[in-house]
Amino acid sequence: MAEPFPDPIQMTLAIMTSPLFLKIAIFPGLTSIAIIAALLTWLDRKITARVQLRIGPQYVSPLGGILQSFADLIKLAFKELPLPEKADKFFFVMAPVFGMVLAGGLMGLIPFSHETLISNLEIGLPVFLAFVTLSPTLVLLAGWSANSKYPFIGGLRSLFQQTAYEIPLWLSAIGVVMLAGTFNLEKIVLAQSKGWFIVPQALGALLFLITSVAEQERIPFDLPEAEPEVIMGWQAEYTGFFFLAAQGAGFIKLYAFSALFATLYLGGYLGPGPLPPLFWSLLKTIGIVVAVILLRGTFGRVRIDQLLRAGWTILLGLALVNIVITYFIVVGFPTI
Amino acid sequence: MTEPAFLVLAAVTVIGSIMALEARDLVYGAVALGVAFLGMAGLFILLDASYVAAFQIAVYIGAVVILILFTVMLVGPAKGEAQMELKRVSLLAAVLVATLIGMGGALASAAAFPGSDVCGGSCDIQSLSRTLLIDYGTQLELLSLVLAAAVIGALTLAKAEKKT
Repeated sequence: MAEPFPDPIQMTLAIMTSPLFLKIAIFPGLTSIAIIAALLTWLDRKITARVQLRIGPQYVSPLGGILQSFADLIKLAFKELPLPEKADKFFFVMAPVFGMVLAGGLMGLIPFSHETLISNLEIGLPVFLAFVTLSPTLVLLAGWSANSKYPFIGGLRSLFQQTAYEIPLWLSAIGVVMLAGTFNLEKIVLAQSKGWFIVPQALGALLFLITSVAEQERIPFDLPEAEPEVIMGWQAEYTGFFFLAAQGAGFIKLYAFSALFATLYLGGYLGPGPLPPLFWSLLKTIGIVVAVILLRGTFGRVRIDQLLRAGWTILLGLALVNIVITYFIVVGFPTI
Repeated sequence: MTEPAFLVLAAVTVIGSIMALEARDLVYGAVALGVAFLGMAGLFILLDASYVAAFQIAVYIGAVVILILFTVMLVGPAKGEAQMELKRVSLLAAVLVATLIGMGGALASAAAFPGSDVCGGSCDIQSLSRTLLIDYGTQLELLSLVLAAAVIGALTLAKAEKKT
């Protein structure tokens, strides 16, 4: 008598209802990433409009045009995809799609709550930052492959900017690792049960926020896609779905970096009361998102030389100072 | 269990290295080198050295490949005489997709079977840092002296070239 072969329908059902599959497919995985990125687009437009005394999206739904970005998404997805004749077609197509996949992959590492964590890696923080280091390659390839002036300038700017700000980003995150004694993002959250790391790490948190905004290429650091200078930079030749992918990757990165900031410095999903941990982590994440969006309405764009000088001198130096301060906090001040 | 994953990652590394040497276009060569590094990172994950894998990605792809691409762009990316044919494009695409799937699978299996590594997950970082900073601290410092000598040598060479 042979082993009874498992029913394929039963097996498929078992896989589709397994917690890991549901987490990857629904929350915090793919479906929620798409919806939240669309909602963040709306939030970005609405807040910026209010800062500039405009109204912003209004017509597409009774709730202040909240469905506007979904309408845009459908419009962009159904557009024709013309490829520039002289473009390097492989990289031109690959770079934005690959970039969006990488940005979505970041969400698998964020502990929104103990139950919804997809991948509880012992080295969650270095893996997150290592994924982030892949993005300048893709942006440069996207700009180069379009074989056109402005995308290439934008790609080179992005390369300069992201390489300069990666090192302060890593070094400012090191302070949290020194305090928590671990790279695991969930253990970093649990280590903050007695107090958020933003208090002993005030300098580190500020540096992390600045460098992460620079890595996301948002105003005031949006030189690679500055409309008045290089007409959207490396995205200039993209239309339709590719433009959607490039823009979507930006908003997914905004979401992921804000969630990482909340995890590292604001106690992640820890919060008082009967409210679930998921509520607290999402509340903190959205708070950071709104703060970063308000930066866009508040500051002007910096010049490339100011940006690079600040990155390689001031931010790098302050990040090293922060490590020294954290060393004294962890070990204690020497008594002479 | 790990046999197919190893075969896929080894194939990705080897094919990526061959393409890095054989690609007609310098940009494609640099990206193929990045693919080979991705495959090596996957091999490190299979060896339960996920910390090394993360830094393999960050340092080799995030810094070395970027610097190579940067140099290529500065020199002027001589477009290959002919565009890559569809066959080679699809080969490279297949290599990339295989790498991504392999990495994802390796990470997922590492997350799904935490007991599979001997130290229970957390000890590789601690034992690594203990080995590097306590047992072999002097040697590490000597290595960094070698690096400093290399940097100073490079600076001297660059300056001498400027004078002439």
